[in-house]
Amino acid sequence: MLIAAIVFGPFLMAFVSYGIGRRQENARDIFVILVTFLELLLSLLLVRGEHSLQITGILNGGLWLQNQGLHTVYSLVTSLMWAGTTLFAREYFAHEREGLNRYWFFVLVTLGATQGVMLSSDLMTAFVFFEIVSFTSFTWVIHEETAEAIKAAYTYLFIAVIGGLVLFMGLALLQHCLGTLDFEDLAAAAARAEDPVLVRTAGVCILFGFGAKAGMFPVHVWLPKAHPVAPSPGSALLSGVLTKVGVYGILMTSLQALAGDAMFGRIVLILGTITMALGALMALFSVNLKRTLACSSMSQIGFILVGIAMYVLLTAAGDAEGAGVAYSGTVLHMVNHSLIKLTLFMCAGVVVMNLGALTLDDIRGWGRNKPFLKAAFALGALGISGVPFFNGYISKTMLHEGIVAGREYCGDISGMLGVIEWIFLFSGGLTFAYMLKLFICIFIEKHPEKQAEFDKDSRCMNTASAIAVCGSSLFMVLLGQPAVMNRLAAYVTGFHEILEFRPFILINLKGGAISLLIGACVYLLFVRKVLIRRGHYVNRWFRHFDLEDSVYRPLLLKVFPFVFGNLAAIPGENKILVPDAQVVFLLAATIGRTLCVSLDALVVLLRKTLLRETRVRGHQPLKAGRLFTLRFETARAIDPIVMNFSFALLMTCLGILMVLGVIMFFILV
Amino acid sequence: MLLIITCLFPAAAGILASALPASDDRSRNRRYAAVMLLTDLLALAAMRLAAPVTVLRFTENATVYFALDGIGRLFLLAVLILYTCVVFYAFEYMKMEERPEVFFGFLFLSLGAMIGVCGSGNMLTVYCCFEFATLSSMPLVLHEMSREAVAAAMKYLYYSVAGALMGLLGVFFVYYYSVADKTFRPEGILDPVRTAGHEKLLLVMILLAIFGFGTKAGMYPMHGWLPAAHPIAPAPASSLLSGIIVKAGILAVIRMVYYTVGADFVRGTFVQYIWMSAAMLTVFMGSTMAFLEKNLKKRLAYSSVSQLSYIMTALSVLTPQGLQGGLLHVMAHFCAKGCLFLTAGVFIYKMGIRDVRQLKGIGKSMPRTTWCIMLSALSLVGIPPMGGFLSKWVIAMAAVEGGSGFWAFMPPAVLLISALLTAGYLFPLVIDGFFPGEDANPIVLQSSEPSGLMVVPMAVLCAVSLAAGLFGLQILGALGI
Repeated sequence: MLIAAIVFGPFLMAFVSYGIGRRQENARDIFVILVTFLELLLSLLLVRGEHSLQITGILNGGLWLQNQGLHTVYSLVTSLMWAGTTLFAREYFAHEREGLNRYWFFVLVTLGATQGVMLSSDLMTAFVFFEIVSFTSFTWVIHEETAEAIKAAYTYLFIAVIGGLVLFMGLALLQHCLGTLDFEDLAAAAARAEDPVLVRTAGVCILFGFGAKAGMFPVHVWLPKAHPVAPSPGSALLSGVLTKVGVYGILMTSLQALAGDAMFGRIVLILGTITMALGALMALFSVNLKRTLACSSMSQIGFILVGIAMYVLLTAAGDAEGAGVAYSGTVLHMVNHSLIKLTLFMCAGVVVMNLGALTLDDIRGWGRNKPFLKAAFALGALGISGVPFFNGYISKTMLHEGIVAGREYCGDISGMLGVIEWIFLFSGGLTFAYMLKLFICIFIEKHPEKQAEFDKDSRCMNTASAIAVCGSSLFMVLLGQPAVMNRLAAYVTGFHEILEFRPFILINLKGGAISLLIGACVYLLFVRKVLIRRGHYVNRWFRHFDLEDSVYRPLLLKVFPFVFGNLAAIPGENKILVPDAQVVFLLAATIGRTLCVSLDALVVLLRKTLLRETRVRGHQPLKAGRLFTLRFETARAIDPIVMNFSFALLMTCLGILMVLGVIMFFILV
Repeated sequence: MLLIITCLFPAAAGILASALPASDDRSRNRRYAAVMLLTDLLALAAMRLAAPVTVLRFTENATVYFALDGIGRLFLLAVLILYTCVVFYAFEYMKMEERPEVFFGFLFLSLGAMIGVCGSGNMLTVYCCFEFATLSSMPLVLHEMSREAVAAAMKYLYYSVAGALMGLLGVFFVYYYSVADKTFRPEGILDPVRTAGHEKLLLVMILLAIFGFGTKAGMYPMHGWLPAAHPIAPAPASSLLSGIIVKAGILAVIRMVYYTVGADFVRGTFVQYIWMSAAMLTVFMGSTMAFLEKNLKKRLAYSSVSQLSYIMTALSVLTPQGLQGGLLHVMAHFCAKGCLFLTAGVFIYKMGIRDVRQLKGIGKSMPRTTWCIMLSALSLVGIPPMGGFLSKWVIAMAAVEGGSGFWAFMPPAVLLISALLTAGYLFPLVIDGFFPGEDANPIVLQSSEPSGLMVVPMAVLCAVSLAAGLFGLQILGALGI
């Protein structure tokens, strides 16, 4: 019942809010805030016990939702994110009136569907809600209806469609191999699977499909474009929760069906590492506040994927404890990242709603006299950079620990893991560097011209928004406490030995310190020297280095339609059939005509050869002979009979009878 | 007896309603509505009560025999839903066409024939009703009487008749090698004693019959009539043609392969592989051509070519699950495509626009119509919880479980590529409709939502499409399949 209310309640409320919004916009805003806070309350109730909801008889075998561990925590995070952004959005959208009804409608529908994914208990249910999420969140990306937003939305939609289809294929394969899609039975079924290669293929399809939503390389192209163009509350949700929807799918699949498959682990590891490093580099080069945050999301998803990969690899290698650490790190980093991005994107939203600009040059120094905003942003930045005593540190340390354990236990790839460990630390350093870049730019540096104007007003948001922004930033501190984190990890994973995890011992602090040191060096030596020229932030990212514009779009819009279009045109326009048919017609006509004239031809032939009329000797050629006259007369007489169709038929029958008679004669005698 | 009445009533009453003098179109429309609703009632009664009935005996073995089973009921239900929606829609649409009474007369005639196809109890009856459906729906294509329309109608007629004759040839051969009682049976009616030694010949004839009846379902290489005939007809007629009349071909193939020959006889033979290859080729070809086409109705017609071959692909798996998948897709497709053609009709009716590129901004002026396109498109692409998702899932599972190697994995792969193309040719319509950006078409923006008479049938079809997705398997179960 509780689960039904959590998942299907928002769907219903979406229609109600649309109805209210058509008359009373203010009432609608308050109604939506109430709904999201009610949802938060319901999610809190989930913690108290395990609930289950099974709807049989719809779709293919029904929907199955239940809550435990990770499901509960993520349902709670989702509700929290929605409550925070909704509270904030009221002010954010204060000056905008167009399309808001649509926006709120889809916000609520997406809330229900996201809860559906997070509470799903089999992959089919997850898939159904996942597709709903994909399509409803599309409206956030296109909300502004600018040319840029429309382009980004198309990219988003097509990656989502392709991802959904590949996921569909993967699920079909998995169902075929294992005979079940329930999370509970997957592990046992996978152990019995006859064809592990097929299971792995299914796994890769699922990885690709969910990865498309998570922003995994090489299907990340939509993420740095779609997140910045959405309205800020929408970006926070896209970045904080919707990417996690994809990660959640990958996590559950890897956890249950593919935990022992080292090959799959390696694939995830490599893709995760690329995502992590690429995202961090793109974020460092970006000169747009929201784009930096979006690329940062991509990079953090890479961290999480590396954690999943380490879990798979360590389980395959038989190190349960290391796997437990990697798993806890993964889950905790998911939670951390969601909350951090909530804060940071809302801060970005504050900037947008006051200035309407996002480029670093334009917003420079704007935050100098805005202490609340500064504090919230600083907490978010500290959290995501992995500074000790803030939340990102613990989860990142656990992930690092996982890689270290991998070097020990996975003998065959320990060399590669050594490299990846350094990439990991380096990416962590880049995180610190780009957050430092943002913070210094917005809150410390001075704008060359407009600084006085910026400093005039220290008020930048109303109380509700301040509660949302600052409230969410307090989680950075709260979740930075090892005791809280360990209990959370134990609740999610059910592994109690993680309680032993001590983040503040020397070896763990060393990893964090190396990262931060790298970050500081990068900021001082690279950002300040190369990325800032004559007091301006410049974009030095390779202009043509865009996978979407240089590869995917030409391929999908030019090459494939050209090749396949021509291929399809061959049968489609009957380019094969028409010439063939013409040949057949020609042949048939020839045969028919031949048959038609064959009897006449035979007669002509006979008359020219065997039955040639010989001239009667002794008579004048000009004078017709008696025989000839007789024949001519007879012919004239019988012509009407002979030239008749019935006669022909009669003759044919006679002929057939004769032939039959001859055959009968030969058979009988 | 009830079945025969159900068949004959709409034909007779429809013609009468058209032929009898009426004061104006309004009163005539009232008559049509009455005929349609009465037919619905009769057919629903027939679904529950009708007993099998033999109408005519040509010879001892060749009879015209009507009986309703689960599959017949399913198709009958689809026929009723779509015809009812389209008749009401056409009241509004036919205001702009000439001679609406002729159109409605033939529409009801074809309704009778379609009910006949659904209620047929043996292959000969299917053939008779099938031909009659072709003949009575041809004038619908012809309706505009333009040079193009006549050419398209002739093309439709020739292709369909040629196909049906190919089918009939197959039927003759199968009848010769079968037991005395020709009624449909799930295991087929072939007589093993007679068949022994003649399997090759029979298989060739079955292949001929599949391609013959497949003509009506637009299967390669006999698909040529479909993209020619559907766009030229008035929108309600194209909706009927694409939505349900082409399904007569599907039903005939199901009856031929599953209920007359028996799926076991064909499974694993060259017939299955040729059939499946042709179906997959058609899927790919149709969706690519649709992707390239700019005329909306033509695009939808090509889309039908590909979607119908989804069903053919599912059927060619030759397992009960394959049949189930095919039937589910019949449900998903008839409402989605029916609805899409009706929306295409709305654009022609309101603005005279046929080109996709001129439709930017439709979402602003006619949001309800655009929502209908959206839902139907989601169904055709196969997004849960719409109808197309369930059917595609069952088809993919059937193919993977039923085949081996290439033949197991090729169908899902082709379906997925085709689904991507489907998304490529349907979604931009909706997105450009709701979010035209700067380049919205001013003509479109000045237009407005059509009347309820047009919107409600489209909405009903979307609702059916959703129901088919949520409760598809239940519906099949309830109908006894």
